[in-house]
Amino acid sequence: MSDTRCFHCHEPVPAGFNFSLMFDGQQRVFCCAGCQAVADTIIASNLADYYRFRTEPANKAKALPEQLKAELSQFDAADVLTDVSRQLGDLTEIELSVSGISCAACAWLIEKQLRQLPSVHKVNVNSTTQRCHLSWDARQVPLSGILQKLADIGYQASPFVADQEEQRYKTELSRFLKRLAVSGIMTMQVMMLAVALYFGDYTGIEASHQGYLRWISMLLTLPVVLYAALPFVKSAWRGIKARQMNMDVPVSLAIYYTFFASAYATAFNTGEVYFESVCMFTFLLQLGKFFEYRARARARDATSNLLKIMPVSATLLKGQQQETVSAKRLRPGDIILVKPGETLAADGEVLLGSSSTDESMLTGEYRPIAKTVGDNVLAGTVNHDGLLQVQVTNALDNSRLGQIIQLQQRTLSQKPAVLEKTDKLARYFVERLLLIAAATFLLWYFWLDADRAFWVTLSVLVATCPCALSLAAPTAVTCALASLNRRGVLIKNSAALDLLPELSIVVFDKTGTLTEGRFSLQQCHLYTDTVSETEALNLIANLEAYSEHPISRAFSSYLAQKLPLEDVSITVGGGISARYQDKKLKVGSAAFCGLLQSDAMVNLTIDEQPIAAVNLQDALRPEVPELLATLRQQGYQLMMLTGDSSSQADALQQQLQFDQMIKGCSPEQKVAEITRLVEDGHKVMMLGDGINDSPAFHAAHVSVTLDSGSDLSKNQADVVLLQPNITLLHDLLHGSLAAKQVIKQNLRWSVGYNLLIIPLAVAGFVSPYIAVLGMSFSSLLVVSNSLRLLKK
Amino acid sequence: MSIIYVLIPIAILFVLIGLAIFFWAVRSRQFDDLDKEGFSILFDEQNTPKRNSDNDKTPL
Repeated sequence: MSDTRCFHCHEPVPAGFNFSLMFDGQQRVFCCAGCQAVADTIIASNLADYYRFRTEPANKAKALPEQLKAELSQFDAADVLTDVSRQLGDLTEIELSVSGISCAACAWLIEKQLRQLPSVHKVNVNSTTQRCHLSWDARQVPLSGILQKLADIGYQASPFVADQEEQRYKTELSRFLKRLAVSGIMTMQVMMLAVALYFGDYTGIEASHQGYLRWISMLLTLPVVLYAALPFVKSAWRGIKARQMNMDVPVSLAIYYTFFASAYATAFNTGEVYFESVCMFTFLLQLGKFFEYRARARARDATSNLLKIMPVSATLLKGQQQETVSAKRLRPGDIILVKPGETLAADGEVLLGSSSTDESMLTGEYRPIAKTVGDNVLAGTVNHDGLLQVQVTNALDNSRLGQIIQLQQRTLSQKPAVLEKTDKLARYFVERLLLIAAATFLLWYFWLDADRAFWVTLSVLVATCPCALSLAAPTAVTCALASLNRRGVLIKNSAALDLLPELSIVVFDKTGTLTEGRFSLQQCHLYTDTVSETEALNLIANLEAYSEHPISRAFSSYLAQKLPLEDVSITVGGGISARYQDKKLKVGSAAFCGLLQSDAMVNLTIDEQPIAAVNLQDALRPEVPELLATLRQQGYQLMMLTGDSSSQADALQQQLQFDQMIKGCSPEQKVAEITRLVEDGHKVMMLGDGINDSPAFHAAHVSVTLDSGSDLSKNQADVVLLQPNITLLHDLLHGSLAAKQVIKQNLRWSVGYNLLIIPLAVAGFVSPYIAVLGMSFSSLLVVSNSLRLLKK
Repeated sequence: MSIIYVLIPIAILFVLIGLAIFFWAVRSRQFDDLDKEGFSILFDEQNTPKRNSDNDKTPL
């Protein structure tokens, strides 16, 4: 049975499970009731085409309809809804972040499913950003109804509010597309006319026809110069105003100089026209910028589902009445009710009840922390198993979570500044270039040949136009980004590529980065011979399947056979008990099982007889020791900063031998520690995954996070490793070195070419024709050299 | 060759129409997700409930 895979999610089907459906005349098996229910809904709604055309398996579906429904209804409260949506007449517009979209077929499936609701007016799913844009009549179907409809087909959606920056990105991106279309389409037209003009030069052309074609070319070039080339002019103007020459100064100068020279030639019917060069140049530069921008925008979109961590709503207690309110509107002194599995909406003090909470988001510590009356609880942490009444002490904005987010925004401006080298080079180059062009003009105008002065200066500008120079770095960076992306490394901030080759210290977080960030079985001790280890683990797994506790997840892979259990009951902070074949089973802490000499985290007793004791541990990722050894060999200093203050940090230090290790760090301490390193002149890379690491991300030169990390850290990091494998770090460092190499070669070529052609152009040996050819050739060379990075 | 005095303006007109359509497409978010559109041709726009529900769906 081991090679049987679930029809829906392609995960292996555990032995002894019997979920199946008929589809397309074949018996299909499923791994769980959830997947079966989802597939049944999909097929019953005539959406089975999804299974025929999808390219990726779906995510495993979770079947908890009742609990899910309760969770979803929190979005129906009027003030919660207004916080996350926009009202347009009768329709409500909302952006949903949908998890589980793996391919384009998912987008189709979701759109179809939602369009079946008569109240849905418009729905548009974006499969790359995993967002769904929806407008519907909220009076007919509540938001929870929509979310439930999505849950039926296996997708979990939550409302999403795009931040302003993202909105700006979007409008800018569509502007890019329009400019690209204008310059691209116009380039084609002008090129076509240029061919006619070239042929005319050789075979003879009527003067009236030539004039006509030139005027048309000029007309078609106008939108390119006035609209598509505008960003270059704006950037050049900003540069001049700030007295800092940038690449765009000579670029816009070349564009406008060539355009006006050609316009002059057209109007007075003398000389040559170069409208096609103007268009092509603008188009190529736009294209490069567009690709870079789109890569950045995509990286941003994919990782910015930030709002998800911020709790949306809370259950406010007013006397005996419960009321769902928006989390933002809680005030200190309010009393809220927190159900198991809910995220706390504010910092507060427990008034009633006991439970354990998961604070991993804030501290990086995965072990659940017990909370009883009088204990403080933090916003953003997840309540595990008990019902709590909490008196709010700090509203969301002033909570620990809010403070960390603020700290992070503060550190944003402290990012160690590094001047981009090509910019420095360009500045140096541009100033001299302009001087040379001016000198050439004066030289020819006053001393050599006043008639030719204009055209010689043009050739100087065109020949030396830093086209290749300005393409040298961006093309290489774009190609490096694409090739790393293919290997599972997503670079969000391309400046990181510049910095990576100079790194000297790599700082690691512990939990979730070096370790797997979840419990796994370390040791299983058996008290008797009557039960084998697999049987014992199977028993524990069967009981733990009823619990949502993080410990129970460690056992899910040991579930070999489903057993019929009766009278299952869960004791908060203790364990689970049940009846099986008239025997009383107990799984849980030593105290719960009535054992005295056991320090194991999970114990199993049958009829009060101790059977097994299991120790769990947050295991080290298997690839870590080798990675660290290679990094050390390459001369990097290694350091570990962890929020964990337990002895596991010391044990890990013993095993891995970091150059420096600091345990029990608060987010502020992490920032301080990294700032100290930066001030000492080190180039620092920070690798972490939690919210508590994200402020430190800005203090470091380069920050790397894992795909399993919190949304907040993914949003802030420069680099995201998309596979759960931190040896990708190695690929990242290697890729950045290769990119640096190519940039160097490109710069050498383009500077060398320019140095060679300048004297010739100044002397008047280079006609504008040749200048354009030389420029195009050297740009082509630079681009194809960069394309080498895509191979391998 | 004086035909070009007529043909080229017509060609330009076509170009302008093409650009206008492209601008409209960008504005109505058709370029947001290019992967999805490639798939849309595979799926039937009109559902054919009869055929599907009769043959395919026989849950146990």
